[in-house]
Amino acid sequence: MNNRNTTDRDPMFDVLRTEMGRLGAPRGVEKELLQAFAQLHPPKRRWYHALAARPFALAGGLAGVAAGALVLAFAVRAPHPVGDGHAGALVSLDGNGVFIALDSAERIAAEPAPRMVAADVPRTSLAALGMPLTPENAGDSVRAEMLVAADGQPLALRVSALQ
Amino acid sequence: MTTTAPDTDLLRQMRGGAADAFAALYRRHQGPLYRFALLRCGSADTAADVVQETFMGLLTDRFRFDPLRGQLQHFLFGVARNLILKSETARQRHVVLGGPDGDDDGKDDLPDDAACPLARLLDNEAAEEVRRALALLAPHYRDAVILYEMHELSYAEIADICQVDIGTVRSRLSRGRAALAKRLAGWRATAGAA
Repeated sequence: MNNRNTTDRDPMFDVLRTEMGRLGAPRGVEKELLQAFAQLHPPKRRWYHALAARPFALAGGLAGVAAGALVLAFAVRAPHPVGDGHAGALVSLDGNGVFIALDSAERIAAEPAPRMVAADVPRTSLAALGMPLTPENAGDSVRAEMLVAADGQPLALRVSALQ
Repeated sequence: MTTTAPDTDLLRQMRGGAADAFAALYRRHQGPLYRFALLRCGSADTAADVVQETFMGLLTDRFRFDPLRGQLQHFLFGVARNLILKSETARQRHVVLGGPDGDDDGKDDLPDDAACPLARLLDNEAAEEVRRALALLAPHYRDAVILYEMHELSYAEIADICQVDIGTVRSRLSRGRAALAKRLAGWRATAGAA
């Protein structure tokens, strides 16, 4: 049932309605409410924050621990070509850049038969080693050369090319 | 910024964290709500507090709005009215009232304004006189008269806001108007003579 009937409104309220029509709550009220809203709804984390924080945290963390403890910007003794000739070619491609040690210098030096292998490594895995990471390239991988022990343990790494 | 989006859409966006949706809702409804509170309690400061607390309740879901049960504006009026009643009750605990109570013409039930409801609020003489006469009505008459005359709500909508039946609204409105006319008769005669 709609009892709305504007014809029986008292005309003496017209002037009051007109006069009060310009009134509103002070601006400070809106400001305080919006501040309260901002506190209740803090900005959401972007998807790449979660990406970096979760699935790759373990890989990045492990590499970071090893590298963080042993980050030595030293030039690893140029690895010997191991017979297939590809490792040597990769080294020359990178201009004999520095390697990042992933294990102790003693362990690397004591390795009797290191091998050089090339691999595509997710860029996010290298974030902890200083690899620049943006939302656009987070899904990319980079070409890296890895010095690997005879038992498959990675000893050192360097980036040879970006894909 | 103005938007024509329905209140329910803005509410949904607001609950999803959209500050602009909340701002749009506020700007759409703050004016009528403030004017209702101002006429109801006669104090600009109290009216501003009521508006702020009403929207804060909407923001935090302390006052849960159900779109199936009516319009947001009516819900906000209801919340504001309850807040005003609550503040009146709290203040009356600290005020010793003398004289008989229950006089239905509202003479003893003076408005709830600690900051003098009869202090001038409006520039226009006629408007201010009506406002003062309104401020002297009993609160339950004032609710009905303000919502009907100033906000052009129907009896059913006022009944919903005040949580009374339609007959009570009709009765309160009638008595409120009569009391107003009585109060304004003297002023009209004076103004007419002048």
